[in-house]
Amino acid sequence: MKPIDILIVGAGPAGLAAAIRLRERLDRDGSDASVVVIDKAFGNGYHNLSGAAFEAKCLEELLPGWQTERSLLTDHVTPVERDEMYFLLRGAAVRIPPFVVPKRMHHKGDVTISLSNLVQFLTQQAEKRGVEIYHGYSARSLMVEQGVVKGVKLAEVGLDKSGEEKPNYMPGEEIRAKVTILADGTHGALSTQFREVFGAGRNPQVYSLGIKALVQFTDENPFGHNRVVHTLGYPSPSSVFGGGFMYSMGEKTVAVGMILGLDWKYGDLNPQLEFERFRAHPFIERQLHGGVIIATGAKTIPEGGYLSIGPLSAPGALVVGDGAGFVNMEKIKGIHYAVQSGICAAETIADAYATGDFGVQPLSSYRDRLVKRGIMAELEHARNYRQSFRWGLYVGTPLSLIQSRLPMRLKTHPDYLGTKRGARLRRKDLGRMDQTTFVSLTGSLHREDEPSHVTILDPSKCLECTERFANSCTHFCPGQVYRWNDDQIALSPSNCLHCMTCTVKCPYANIRWVPPEGGEGPRFKNM
Amino acid sequence: MSTEPCGEHPTVDPPLVPAGRPLNCIVLVKQVPDVSNIPEDAWDREKGTLKRAMLDSILNPLDLQALTFARRITETDANSRTIYLSMGPPQARETLIDCLSRVPGEAILLTDRAFAGADTVATAYSLACAIRRIEREIFGGDRRYVIVTGMQSVDGDTAQVPPQIAEELGIEHIAYAKGVEVQPDLAVTRIGPQGTEIVRPLKYPVLVTVTACMDPLYRAFHLAREANSGEVREWSAESVGADPARTGLQGSRTQVYRIFSPSEERSKACEFVHDPAELIDLIKTRYQAAGSRSRTVEGEPYNLDGKTPTYAGEFWVLAEREGDGIRSVSLELLGKARELAAGLGVMVGAVLPCDDAGDLPQELIARGADKVYAIEHPLLGEYLPMPYKTAISRLVCERRPQVMLFGATPMGRELAPRVAYACSSGLTADCTKLEIGDYTKGSLSLVGILKQTRPALGGNIMATILTKDSDTQMATVRPGVFRVPPPDPARTGEIIRVKADLDVKQLRLRSVAVESLAGKVSIRDADILVAGGHGLRSKKDFERLLHPIAEGLGRLLGGNAKVGASRIAVEDGFTTHDHQVGQTGQTVQPRLYVAIGISGAVQHISGMQGSEIIVAINKDPKARIFNYADFGMVGDIETILPGLTRVLDGAPA
Repeated sequence: MKPIDILIVGAGPAGLAAAIRLRERLDRDGSDASVVVIDKAFGNGYHNLSGAAFEAKCLEELLPGWQTERSLLTDHVTPVERDEMYFLLRGAAVRIPPFVVPKRMHHKGDVTISLSNLVQFLTQQAEKRGVEIYHGYSARSLMVEQGVVKGVKLAEVGLDKSGEEKPNYMPGEEIRAKVTILADGTHGALSTQFREVFGAGRNPQVYSLGIKALVQFTDENPFGHNRVVHTLGYPSPSSVFGGGFMYSMGEKTVAVGMILGLDWKYGDLNPQLEFERFRAHPFIERQLHGGVIIATGAKTIPEGGYLSIGPLSAPGALVVGDGAGFVNMEKIKGIHYAVQSGICAAETIADAYATGDFGVQPLSSYRDRLVKRGIMAELEHARNYRQSFRWGLYVGTPLSLIQSRLPMRLKTHPDYLGTKRGARLRRKDLGRMDQTTFVSLTGSLHREDEPSHVTILDPSKCLECTERFANSCTHFCPGQVYRWNDDQIALSPSNCLHCMTCTVKCPYANIRWVPPEGGEGPRFKNM
Repeated sequence: MSTEPCGEHPTVDPPLVPAGRPLNCIVLVKQVPDVSNIPEDAWDREKGTLKRAMLDSILNPLDLQALTFARRITETDANSRTIYLSMGPPQARETLIDCLSRVPGEAILLTDRAFAGADTVATAYSLACAIRRIEREIFGGDRRYVIVTGMQSVDGDTAQVPPQIAEELGIEHIAYAKGVEVQPDLAVTRIGPQGTEIVRPLKYPVLVTVTACMDPLYRAFHLAREANSGEVREWSAESVGADPARTGLQGSRTQVYRIFSPSEERSKACEFVHDPAELIDLIKTRYQAAGSRSRTVEGEPYNLDGKTPTYAGEFWVLAEREGDGIRSVSLELLGKARELAAGLGVMVGAVLPCDDAGDLPQELIARGADKVYAIEHPLLGEYLPMPYKTAISRLVCERRPQVMLFGATPMGRELAPRVAYACSSGLTADCTKLEIGDYTKGSLSLVGILKQTRPALGGNIMATILTKDSDTQMATVRPGVFRVPPPDPARTGEIIRVKADLDVKQLRLRSVAVESLAGKVSIRDADILVAGGHGLRSKKDFERLLHPIAEGLGRLLGGNAKVGASRIAVEDGFTTHDHQVGQTGQTVQPRLYVAIGISGAVQHISGMQGSEIIVAINKDPKARIFNYADFGMVGDIETILPGLTRVLDGAPA
């Protein structure tokens, strides 16, 4: 078998953009170097979820004329014609006049898309160009030898619950490559290991949790077409960063969701219940009246921005997309950066390929390319944006307007430190969609007799956590993986949505998450 | 009509070759929709049916078991070859790549527009033609090979194609295989009607169908890369010498008449009760009424109104023996056949293969048979597939009944496909409803035909099927669907003794019983299933509270009762995974399902919604499980369950 020249870990927008551009460049340069993409999801786009309002310009660069090709994506691209922002009070919604909304937060000219459909489209395009893509293979560790990244090692498979080898056991395969692109997304296992070896950003990375549902209408869609709505306020207390959104996704479907900054202080904040509360608000309910929820999902967003971005390359490897932290919180956008960083990585590697050198020097020009495109400057402009909201909405809103002019860099703290002892939200259950239904609509599935891929490192801490932080994992996990049972945490790892919240939000940093066997986890469709 | 083989078909098999020569495997695989993970928008809300295109495509799970099983055979000899064969549209190539990523081999995709619309008979014929070509061209005429495949596919769920392939090829079929030894020669462990047995083929090739029994092999990344760049051969209908009249829609002997939602068949409104004794009474009455599935929509009896029926002949039922008597499903079918035949004014016959009929014909007449065809032969004492098949199909081909019904028992599901194939008749598996009706479409007008309704796609849709181009309409019917008719000793009927020309030399399998089945029943086979969930709180409670209820219900209703569990109960260690009901556990369809402390997650519901009577006990009145229940009780489990046990023990609650 032909050895692998370029390995891309993660078939999301960043990894696939890199693959497409690389294949084209290599073909043009007359090279038959192999480009191989692996992904842990069962199928195309099944682990990709976003709002998503999208700056589509970058696609025109990657795939000129892409809109003329018929696909699930292009059939459902919805140009934004109405862009509104509201402040929600309990029972009422106040429109924020457009001239008050900072220009960067306007969405006219954007399109709304489904990220999983975008990924499906990119997969087809990549395969058409000769990229090899393999789904259902879970990369568990980065192989670094003498300071050089040599590839990745897959998860071993066929263990039973207690870790014993079953007759179908297969050790984790090593996949070696000349150069590896880490495109493993938000809090990706490998990009995290990369930062452990090669250094992290100046600020610790911080996250939000995005939680989303697709509402389908059979008759009239009261929300309307080509419309995006963003909300602030209810149900979140002012200390919680975030907001809500509703996007038209074609004629008959509306995406509705919430973003919640994971530095929230309440031990008992349950994002799914907050999301129910949000949808129960009369303003939201009116827009979604008559619809049926056909799919749900959740995923974290790396929000630390410029100051949380670490080294982007090392000998033998590059990091792209969410795995690197390319998200602009001022715009609440990152998909276009994912695509562009993929393109930059591809150009860098194609150049290096011509010389055969994948060491520090040639790969570091990746950063220069990002700078040249102005991406780094945009990110730098937003460098203090997310941190401004540390002191809540009322301080954060005005502060965020002048954050770029602050002379100092505002620090971030790991999200789990945000949970405050004794702080409780004490929500009543509204009796709407229950958590099991929410989880089942994500399509998540894992082999149930495999060893748990989530581990409580020191269970004795959980007893103390009960009183101090209300065992916050039993509340913050949108997949309901954690349950309090008698005097300990019981795990349902097969519910896991791979959102990564637990790795950053356990108040004791006491939860370890490793990628489970390949092909598992949620099956996000049209999300 | 006779069954002509499509290629060369040696009439004399070469003698069994000595062990030591490599044994090759042909693994038959099918790409199926993943019914274990149905996205919400795959439902057509207006029609209540599933949009198949919205489901993921996967390798049929039992075919994956077959692949693992075949590996056990081929791994013992480096010269053994593995051939994967699939029939389907071009995208079924993915499934073959999937196979090659697990165990290397050669892959063949039988794909042609001519195959479109094939039912089981046409599919079996087409695959058999391809197998003959594999034997000729790839094995160079060497007949020392085993055809391995899954018992059934999750979409069709008929288990008909493999035995029909065996029939077309004229070879033995070993069903329900769960293990294999290769040294000194092939020995297959299988679940037989009486228990586990070890079966050795005396002649190759042989076809083995595999049940869920192994930890399926994983895909390896390096093999996936090789497979991806490797070759999948595509064979057309013509290239395998298939007769166009016998493939695709043309070669099919059944057609789908209507697809509809299972909810049409049962209008569910949970009846809440407060008193344990009342609940037990309700359960008992409903359980003993039997056949609630068919009873819900019992139409008017059929009336010919002077029209000429399309089919002529008697209505037959295969009388399956159990111990010294007749299996109750055969009696249920006699009752139903009696009722259906009356509408057409024809006779009901029972076919009884046995070594000595004894008093059984009298019993069959008392239950509704006008004629009993007793086929007596020493080889028909115990159930052996080949002699049974030969004897029954000869009789059917000779006398041509218009309807032939089998119980969907392990024996019926193995036998009926071969009999149907040998008699060139259509067959519908696992029916839950039978009725006589007319059908008109275009120039086609059918009068007084048998409409056969069965669940499909894992019970998510219902399909009504018609037989076409056959003299006999055949169906297997699930046990417990119809009522056992009360015996009428005054009935009279004719007993016809039929000679069977059978020879012990025709036996090409040798089997040894190793273990009796008694006491080892999986939850899938239970009549009554009492399942517990998280509401039971501890393993001790699970055992202390649940088992007495199961035992009590089993005693009261005279059924086989088992204990099941929800996923959370298994995760909490209350019981083992083989008791788990639901998407990732087992799909069960007992006559009575009692869900205790189970909230009713979708994953659980999909595993038990086919149950006939559903009872839910939960402390939360809003629990989803009540949406699916016939009877419900709301309250604390700790108090309700002991109360129920007391009632079941005969003491006042």
